[in-house]
Amino acid sequence: MRAVYAKTELESLLDPESGPWRAQAGESIQLMGTPVGLQPTEAIRVAWMGKTIGAIGSVRVAAIHNGDVLAFRLDWEDPDEDAEVLDNDSFPDAAAISLPAAEDAPMVLMGAAGKPVNVWYWRADEADSARHLTAEGLGTSRTLDVKTVKARGIWKEGRWQVVIAREMNVNTPGAAQITPGSEIGFGVAIWEGSHKERAGIKAFSVDWKQLTIDPTNAGGKA
Amino acid sequence: MEASKRQLAMVMDLNKCIGCQTCTIACKRLWTRDEGMEYMWWNTVNTQPGRGTPRDWEKSGGGFENGVAKPGQLPTRSEFGEAWEYNHKDVFYGGKGKKAHLEIQGEKPEWGPNWDEDQGGGEYPNSYYFYLPRICNHCTHPACLEACPRKAIEKNAENGIVTVNEDSCRGYRFCMEACPYKKIYFNQAAKVAQKCIFCFPRIEQGVANACARQCPGRVRFVGYRDDKNAPIYKLVDKWKVAIPLHPEYGTEPNVFYVPPLAPAAFDENGEIDESRSRIPMEYLESLFGPAVNESLAILKTEMDKSRNGEKSELIDLLIAYKWKDMFGGFDKDPATIEWVKS
Ligand code: SF4
Ligand code: SF4
Repeated sequence: MRAVYAKTELESLLDPESGPWRAQAGESIQLMGTPVGLQPTEAIRVAWMGKTIGAIGSVRVAAIHNGDVLAFRLDWEDPDEDAEVLDNDSFPDAAAISLPAAEDAPMVLMGAAGKPVNVWYWRADEADSARHLTAEGLGTSRTLDVKTVKARGIWKEGRWQVVIAREMNVNTPGAAQITPGSEIGFGVAIWEGSHKERAGIKAFSVDWKQLTIDPTNAGGKA
Repeated sequence: MEASKRQLAMVMDLNKCIGCQTCTIACKRLWTRDEGMEYMWWNTVNTQPGRGTPRDWEKSGGGFENGVAKPGQLPTRSEFGEAWEYNHKDVFYGGKGKKAHLEIQGEKPEWGPNWDEDQGGGEYPNSYYFYLPRICNHCTHPACLEACPRKAIEKNAENGIVTVNEDSCRGYRFCMEACPYKKIYFNQAAKVAQKCIFCFPRIEQGVANACARQCPGRVRFVGYRDDKNAPIYKLVDKWKVAIPLHPEYGTEPNVFYVPPLAPAAFDENGEIDESRSRIPMEYLESLFGPAVNESLAILKTEMDKSRNGEKSELIDLLIAYKWKDMFGGFDKDPATIEWVKS
């Protein structure tokens, strides 16, 4: 997959329906549920044994960068909008992009000790404060900050369209740094609120997907 | 999880609880007045038999079965009981005299804390009930802590108090599913789990829990489990009259109960039948397990001794002649302490 270079303001990048995104069909990525055996506590394993984990089967992903900010647009079918936590048994929809912050950080396990994964996390009920996270294994995610990652979601006609973006280079230890012209791996995860998905109960892209970050001299072809 | 060095515990004597809810209000005023905490009652007192708070919590799973975690349910806010408002302003300050009466504002609730108050069980003349106060049990094998994928629940290594670290909590509520006593609450405003903290800021200053100090019935004993000179050890380990609620849930609670004694039942002819208790033993066993039989037997023996003018350490303890002796050394007056808000 390519992250297309486009001379676009951040505001327009954050609008999943803006012109630059309309020009990008993106690529469909198959998702699978995190295996129940990998869930970090016995209570979770027992509660989810035999149940479907990962209610969302696929997501369409496109990427654009403007030389400064890299943005992903995720687009998936979801008949139920869960944008608010309405009761003790209600959970919000959420999505995340993960990037290796160390060589051979394992994707399925959300990193490992000394091999962190950097996560850009959007949750429908915290729309204005997407999270910048680091993780070194399942259940270890820790918030780096709540200002670096920008995200915006629109739910319409049974679909979520969510843009998750971050400056390619940030001054945060644990953050992945991205250079135009390079190739990086990325992963996607989706949590379906109406299915009570949260934490490690999610659908994810099985392995790192390759993403070529177009060089900035490639011209504004988008 | 490593066992804590010591364990704070509470014993509640069900023979003395009058269901006044002073403990409940003491806790509410002290700890759960912030936004999102309206529906929370870390301390509840329910009439037994009854459906409890949250409704039917004993049927909601969680805890352990044969040492393995058992799936549990997430009780909804309406099962706990939403915090409804009254028209206090109208009634007390509205200048409407006797025309305004207390009325619930907004949607009429269908359940609430101790909703089935004083309904109890049994058929006349053998009807019966008693009160069961509950807080978090600060378990030795805390299902809540073990369920959390983020290790956001901590058991204090020095005193065994179980607390939620709200900085690590992300509101996933696996703890709420896992706690078989349903003593974890989700704060919708703060998006984190919250629970009884055993009044640790008071305990740290040598002051007993608010629910215990405020109790007019002298129901609650507080202290370290292993303090051999204090009431907890004597009631739980020495006299073996204080027993945990639902030991079969497998979490090893550190709140213990002196079970309720009851008068003898009436038989079909209206005669007193000394062989049967007004509170059916099967019911008590369903709450406290088989240990309740032994506990009640000891209580009866010691009461008889006391009636015959003999001295009984157990009965003297339970009477709690000296109020301060109930608190295992945590007997400082909170008014003498300079509290610093951090
Ligand atoms: S009573 Fe529930 S909340 Fe309290 S420690 Fe035990 S399992 Fe955890
Ligand atoms: S425990 Fe004490 S304060 Fe609470 S209801 Fe019983 S008598 Fe009242």
